[in-house]
Amino acid sequence: MMNVETLTIKKAREILAKKEISPEELTQAFLKRAHEENPRLNAYLSIFENAPGGIPCAVKDLIMVEGEKCTAGSKILENYVASYDATVVKKLRAQGVSILGKTNLDDSAMGTTGENSAFGPTLNPYDHTRVAGGSSSGSVAVVAAGMALFALGSETGGSARLPASWTGTVGFKPTYGRISRHGLIPMASSLDQVAPITKTVEDAALVMNMIAGHDALDSTTSQLAVPDYSRALDEDIKGLRVAVPKEYFAKGLDSQVEAAIKKAITQLEALGAHVSEVSLPMTDYALATYYIIVPAEVSANLARLDGIRYGYASQGDNLLEVYEKSRSEGFGKEVQRRIMIGTYTLSAGYYDAYYKKAQQVRTLICRDFDRVFKDHDVIVGPTSPVMAPKLGEFKDPLQFYLADVFTVQANLAGLCGISVPCGFGEIDGVKLPIGLQIMGNKFEEAKILQVAHAYESR
Amino acid sequence: MPDITREDVEHIAKLARIKLTEEEKTKLTGELGSILTYVSKLNEIDTTGVEPTAQVTGLENVFRSDQAAPWYEGNPHDLVEAAPEHDGQYVKVKGVMEGK
Repeated sequence: MMNVETLTIKKAREILAKKEISPEELTQAFLKRAHEENPRLNAYLSIFENAPGGIPCAVKDLIMVEGEKCTAGSKILENYVASYDATVVKKLRAQGVSILGKTNLDDSAMGTTGENSAFGPTLNPYDHTRVAGGSSSGSVAVVAAGMALFALGSETGGSARLPASWTGTVGFKPTYGRISRHGLIPMASSLDQVAPITKTVEDAALVMNMIAGHDALDSTTSQLAVPDYSRALDEDIKGLRVAVPKEYFAKGLDSQVEAAIKKAITQLEALGAHVSEVSLPMTDYALATYYIIVPAEVSANLARLDGIRYGYASQGDNLLEVYEKSRSEGFGKEVQRRIMIGTYTLSAGYYDAYYKKAQQVRTLICRDFDRVFKDHDVIVGPTSPVMAPKLGEFKDPLQFYLADVFTVQANLAGLCGISVPCGFGEIDGVKLPIGLQIMGNKFEEAKILQVAHAYESR
Repeated sequence: MPDITREDVEHIAKLARIKLTEEEKTKLTGELGSILTYVSKLNEIDTTGVEPTAQVTGLENVFRSDQAAPWYEGNPHDLVEAAPEHDGQYVKVKGVMEGK
């Protein structure tokens, strides 16, 4: 009998090919599971009862599915219905994938714990008193709890890798420009990417094969040929040069996380990789750079949500009042905070001191990585400095921001990165997952998948 | 530099088209101040002569021929229907030139 919790895309394709199960039975088994588990976890915002037979997939509610609500986790888009399919959704449907529903996220994808969602937080399947992580909170939880075979999330600064590390799933952030963003509600356009969440590295490669590539409807996508990602998996990693940045083991790193990552690095060495310590001197400045660039781009991108064209509209006596009331009643607190910061840093007299300065430091961050990738194949380290926090544990906005400390670099430099499960820590007698991060140079997805797969099959 | 006053918060909110309550203004004055102090650590770095990075793809000026081509398979009227206030094929807004 099929076990939905342990089934992977690869195994599902095998049993479908052998006709041990029909596509309709497969979809029904996952819908049943979704109905059983979702009331406890709040991972799905909507479940599609009439989902066709196929490989069951959940989609972050930031990505458009025609005729279905697309809330972005925000009150301002609570009743917005998508009028077309995102390119990634179209591609998946064409390859036998069935969309089961839309998943929860932080309001407008802004947050690291999922607690900013206008529809309540998604709970961690390993411990219901803890968060699943954000912003792709629902996407990681549905995969971890067996409510879909895989999910689409998205990333701006770690929104797939970070929550994947907290839920024992694989979170994959492709190179900027590798996957179409047509139909992805934008947050910070120089950083956003669609990001698959899967149970295994093999499955991440399969999803990449389905969705990567150029799209005429997204001019930021690359024309570079897309390799067969599954083929790269079986090459061994003997002689591969693995860089470990010393800055990733500085203060603030949880001791159990540190122990798990160090053990994983030893295991990579045992598999034949050459491990060496490197320095990324700009590490300490990446987060500050990120939290200038993101709010600036957010303030521009979210200007379109004004109560006129779509979404929530408040009544007002004049146009200005409609704008102001719709936006303050519709956007959550963190979204408002970022819009305010972005508006400030982009305003006359401050542009050079903040936005331009951050763009210059971004250049220096890119140079750090160029230097390391000259004589290394991949970079490894922790995905997150801590394990999943309790609901309400993070209080100050900066505390939330600090969870992104190891993930924002890949977005700023346009690199690819993956988080793979690397064991568990324990807090209050409950086992909690830890994630190993592997980063690769631009368009070297195949290499990080190869290393991640070698580690996973050790 | 990042000394954010209540007046600054009021000014930014106006530019951002967000209406704040008195309580929110007080809270945001503190929060924005501490976030801006944190990000101001970039001033420790000398960036003289460093080119800013706006995007990382290396792509430049992606052109297509200047010809309208259909990409949307649905009914364009659905897009108008998405507007909270609409009338026929028009999106309705409050008067722009009214008042002051």
